[in-house]
Amino acid sequence: MRILRAKLVLLLAFVILASLSPSSAVPVVETGQGPALASIGPMTFGPDGTLFAADNQGAAIFALDLGAQVNGGVAGAKALDALDEKLAALLGTGAREVSVTDLAVHPRTHNAYVSVMRGQGAGAAPALFRIDGAGQIANVSLKTLKFQKVELPNAAVANTAARQNPRTQVVTDMAFADGRLWVAGLSNEEFASKLRAIPYPFATVDRGVSVEIYHGNHKAVETRSPVNAFVPYTINNQQHLIAGYTCTPLVKFPIADLKAGEKVRGTTIAEFGAGNRVLDMIVYKKGGQEFLLTANNSRGVMKIPTAPFASAKPITTPVESETAGVPFEKVASMMGVEQLDKLDDTTAIVISRSASGGINLQTVPLP
Amino acid sequence: MRLRLLRLAAVTASIVTAAACGRSVNSPSSPAIKLTSAQNGRAYVEVTGLSRAALDSVARASLTPEQWSALLRVAVDDTAPGMLGDYSVAGDVLRFTPAFPLDPGRSYRVRFDAARLPGATGPAAPIVATVGQPARDATPSTVVTRVYPTADVVPENLLRMYIEFSEPMGRPSGIEHLKLLDEDGREIPGAFLPLDYEFWSPDHTRFTAFFDPGRVKGGILPNQQMGRALRAGRSVTLVIGHQWRDQYGRPLKEDFRRVLRVGPAEDQPLDTATWRIQPPAAGGRDGLIVSFPKPLDHALLMRALGVRREDTAVEGDVFIDQAEKRWTFAPKQPWRAGTYQLLALDTLEDVAGNQIGRAFEVDNFDTVDKSPNPKSILIPFRVASPGTD
Repeated sequence: MRILRAKLVLLLAFVILASLSPSSAVPVVETGQGPALASIGPMTFGPDGTLFAADNQGAAIFALDLGAQVNGGVAGAKALDALDEKLAALLGTGAREVSVTDLAVHPRTHNAYVSVMRGQGAGAAPALFRIDGAGQIANVSLKTLKFQKVELPNAAVANTAARQNPRTQVVTDMAFADGRLWVAGLSNEEFASKLRAIPYPFATVDRGVSVEIYHGNHKAVETRSPVNAFVPYTINNQQHLIAGYTCTPLVKFPIADLKAGEKVRGTTIAEFGAGNRVLDMIVYKKGGQEFLLTANNSRGVMKIPTAPFASAKPITTPVESETAGVPFEKVASMMGVEQLDKLDDTTAIVISRSASGGINLQTVPLP
Repeated sequence: MRLRLLRLAAVTASIVTAAACGRSVNSPSSPAIKLTSAQNGRAYVEVTGLSRAALDSVARASLTPEQWSALLRVAVDDTAPGMLGDYSVAGDVLRFTPAFPLDPGRSYRVRFDAARLPGATGPAAPIVATVGQPARDATPSTVVTRVYPTADVVPENLLRMYIEFSEPMGRPSGIEHLKLLDEDGREIPGAFLPLDYEFWSPDHTRFTAFFDPGRVKGGILPNQQMGRALRAGRSVTLVIGHQWRDQYGRPLKEDFRRVLRVGPAEDQPLDTATWRIQPPAAGGRDGLIVSFPKPLDHALLMRALGVRREDTAVEGDVFIDQAEKRWTFAPKQPWRAGTYQLLALDTLEDVAGNQIGRAFEVDNFDTVDKSPNPKSILIPFRVASPGTD
């Protein structure tokens, strides 16, 4: 392209600050049958059995009505060794071509649903399986499901050529609370965590809430630390989200504070150590006490009593020790856990990776 | 994308036949298993040689998936369950359509058991066959085409890199294939941020790697304990290992190596007053050129700068060169004489994460911007008719 070398025009330092358009909610909802997911996972169930599945490649969230495919299985979910090999056989491929992206337990049947990508690269295809209490693996046919789809709003763009270089968005976790689907995500460009609340049934999706935290190990307020996993949890009759960040602050956000279009700061109540990431988390009750159970990439599984969450002293100053804040204990018996969900009141179900690299579905008594 | 196909492998579309039982519902001819490729490239497994009566009996029977699989099973091996797919009677054949395309180079075992035909009254020896499609050319050909930033010198607080490949990439992927070597060839450990998700472009040809912000950011604990991975005044070699596989499982053609000289930390916010704007002349479609005193983030440059006239976006194409220090905008329609505006979102960053008016290092309790929405900064420029000022 020939570029005109025009004479430099003296520029007045005339800078106008103006708000761009993106603060308004954007109705981008599609309803139909046979969802066209480009990818699948993470997932979470709503209380009525609606399965919410993120499509990171398509930058969208699907609400899937599993319909009659919920029925027919034995209640519960049975552990299965070599899950990746079993899924690969059904998918007509090898275990290396299978990536398990998430695990979610149906609220009524307690069957385990496993989301999978078959193949690699841009040609990889999504699949969904149900594993019942007898260990039967059933494929959930996506093409017959009724669905609602909501696209995640893209970031503001200043020119139409932005499509030449599509931005990548990743949903790191989802949970349903307070009648809304909460979605944690970030992009490769901003790399700033954002929480979105999407009322269900879907009508609109807002531009999200920017969240920042005080990171005691980092001795700084962070806006660029990813929320890896979070759970809804009620503290003093007030609905909260408890979020696990990379490297590894534990943070509470009152849902009432999470208003679209604003930036909020969460309260850091623990630091679980550097060089660590929370992979998944659940809340459960045992012996009259409630606990948060977190699976971590380098620090195994942690059991954290939730009673101190309400009065925990916020961490707002540098943390010199490896860990700080609310107490926890390590659960040495749970190794290699990558995905975690509560199967029932006494049992957790996990997807774990063995020393040989294979993937197992295990059921474990809640510690 | 062009695929290099090998000659048909031995497993390809092999057809094995066996004697049928000869019952009335079965064909007097011998059933056979074959792999059929439709014009759209979709492969079906079919059983031929069945009688019309047998086919009609199947069509009428409303078989359950288990019954179908007992009649015709296509699997990755003899002990595996039947793989997912649809069964049908298609003309004069029994057809299995796999739910997912068959993997090139993989053998599939097919078993047809005529004794499971509806109405079959006696034993019949199942027939089995091995079918498959040709393997792809396993010769490595995928390469790293570009790594951003492209400048020879990067600041020691470099925040991220974009790595572009010639073909879509597969798993396992990510920072395990990235190494930074110091001047003595020793690996600098922990330079990149490990994540449980990956930032790929939708076509899986561009990967975003983040330097660990905990080490990049001055004064925080990982930074104090380990220091920055990049040190001003030194050189490092970025190595992208050839073991990183493309979507067909082929390793890269070769390691990618690039020497980066490390300069001082870049800790100043972007200042639009330092940008040099070269307006084009009216009447043509020559590019508006904006030059920056330091390299900016390539991806954000594509999206966070634009041109407006009278509150309307001007359509055009963006070109970035000179090590991300020059942004050129070529409009779809010729420039008109008059005032335009360069629009910059304050999310635009340099390669160290400094934004317009906000340095990466200034996060603290006192400087919280309550709005997460980007601001737009409008910088007017005049397009003059040729020959005028």
